[in-house]
Amino acid sequence: MEFDQIELLPVIAAATDEALDTLLFGVIGIDQNGQVLRYNSWESKAGGLSRDKVLGHHLFTVVAPCMNNFMVAQRLDDALADGTPLDATIDYVLTLRMRPIKVKLRLLAAPPSAQRYVLVQRSV
Amino acid sequence: MDELSGVLEAEYEALTQFLYLAPVGLTQLAMDGTIAMINPISAQLLMPLSRDGSLDNLFTTLRDVAPELRHLAESFGKSHGVVCDSLRVQLSAGVRGVSDPKILSLTMLKLDEQRLMAVLSDVSHQMTRDRMLRQNEAWFNAILTGVTDYALMSLDARGRVVKWNASIGRVTGFAEAAVVGQPYSIFYPADATTHDRVLDRLHEAEATGWSMDDGWRVRANGTRFWSSAVIVPLLELQGADDDAYDDAEYADDARFCLVLRDITDQRVGSEAHRLQTTCDHLTGVANRRTFFDAAEMEIERYRRSPRPLSLVLFDADHFKRVNDVFGHPGGDAVLREFGALLMTTFRQIDVVARLGGEEFAVLLPSADLGNAMTVAERCRLAVEASEVNADGAQIRYTVSVGVATMDPGVSGLDELIKRADAALYAAKAAGRNRIEVWSSGSPCPPGLRKG
Repeated sequence: MEFDQIELLPVIAAATDEALDTLLFGVIGIDQNGQVLRYNSWESKAGGLSRDKVLGHHLFTVVAPCMNNFMVAQRLDDALADGTPLDATIDYVLTLRMRPIKVKLRLLAAPPSAQRYVLVQRSV
Repeated sequence: MDELSGVLEAEYEALTQFLYLAPVGLTQLAMDGTIAMINPISAQLLMPLSRDGSLDNLFTTLRDVAPELRHLAESFGKSHGVVCDSLRVQLSAGVRGVSDPKILSLTMLKLDEQRLMAVLSDVSHQMTRDRMLRQNEAWFNAILTGVTDYALMSLDARGRVVKWNASIGRVTGFAEAAVVGQPYSIFYPADATTHDRVLDRLHEAEATGWSMDDGWRVRANGTRFWSSAVIVPLLELQGADDDAYDDAEYADDARFCLVLRDITDQRVGSEAHRLQTTCDHLTGVANRRTFFDAAEMEIERYRRSPRPLSLVLFDADHFKRVNDVFGHPGGDAVLREFGALLMTTFRQIDVVARLGGEEFAVLLPSADLGNAMTVAERCRLAVEASEVNADGAQIRYTVSVGVATMDPGVSGLDELIKRADAALYAAKAAGRNRIEVWSSGSPCPPGLRKG
């Protein structure tokens, strides 16, 4: 699995947690309410938060408030509300361990499935 | 040893999460604005302002909405302390019924010679409350400070002075015959108020309990004094509404009390603070926040009682070229001269503001499209004919101008600004150094327009 691979959503959704943990980019999966379902080890290390502190919590208010604006959270929610598939990659800055880190975010949604993903890759 | 590092790791994680969840934005930066550490709420608030998708420098990210930040940090003389406290940064005007004005509050501390700390929070919903509080404060000041010299008078429903008393003569030098029956605007410089504004203040006093404004007033002999003027309604008529104003039976009764205080002496002390919070540091014209405050109030007045209201946007042409050729001191000199020119060309009642970069706005109450265009064109011609002297270099420049005026089809401030912006864009597209008026066919400017 590569960050920019086409048709990536079904592959990620079908992958085991162990398989996601081998990836060199972050994977965050959320349900229809924004609660975190999946959180791979790259993301855990980069963010400094262990998986059990994150799973079941709300991504945009508890885990990654920095994505809670119209650029990220709104687009993922709109995709679900409108029933339109979303596969967009944007330049963004995450505050991993309080450092501003330039990343590429890939936002994935394929309604009616409520499971949506945010992928995180460090920009070089 | 393993146990100790396990404890440390758990504490580190808890601390990290604590900072992730903190409901205010925290940013640590170098003196030049370079961001060293930043928490998620900061990024959430700042990312939509970033032009290039990066958050490397706080001053750069905020330059369009708070151009004074870098200057405030650089000119802060002490080794540590509060550089600015709850500076309000206006992001958008808001759309009535759809979205509120978006406003950030920014406090910046100097930690030492190398580091600054910025605290950001979203205070959009506090704005209205804030305005009321400020008025409250001003009003209590008026009552509580040991005022010895004030003029107290009663006004009728149209703002005319009802009765004479000695305090009026003492403060303003006017004689009884020149005052009674005249609107209170006789104490204002000619271009500092209008007939509409005289009535607006009465309506606002009725609606909120008082109306307050600080500014220049004139004495009978033509000299000026800086004054705080407070208008308070005297009695509440049963079922008082707008109709009561037109009711002949009550027309001559005292309805309001006006207190004029001469605070010329106090003004010197508070002037530096007032300038810092309401004026653009470089040009001395109103800053963005003052502009949005005043404009929002003017739109409210228009809604209550429609009257002409126009907006003019100015943008210096090829400004990047000016900066490239003459350096930033040259560019700054141009902006200062242009600000001064606007202040002398427009009336005192007009709100002249620098919105950011090389863009200026002027709001003209009680001025229709024709009035606004006449003055704006005079400005454009004056700029075209002028030369700015900067370090021995003679700089010539021009400006493009967009004009729009309120009509019932304009939903609010946001749309009025968009219209003037579209007109400005059309002026740029048509070759610059010209004035354009908004029309329904005006093209929509693409996101950020420069040059």
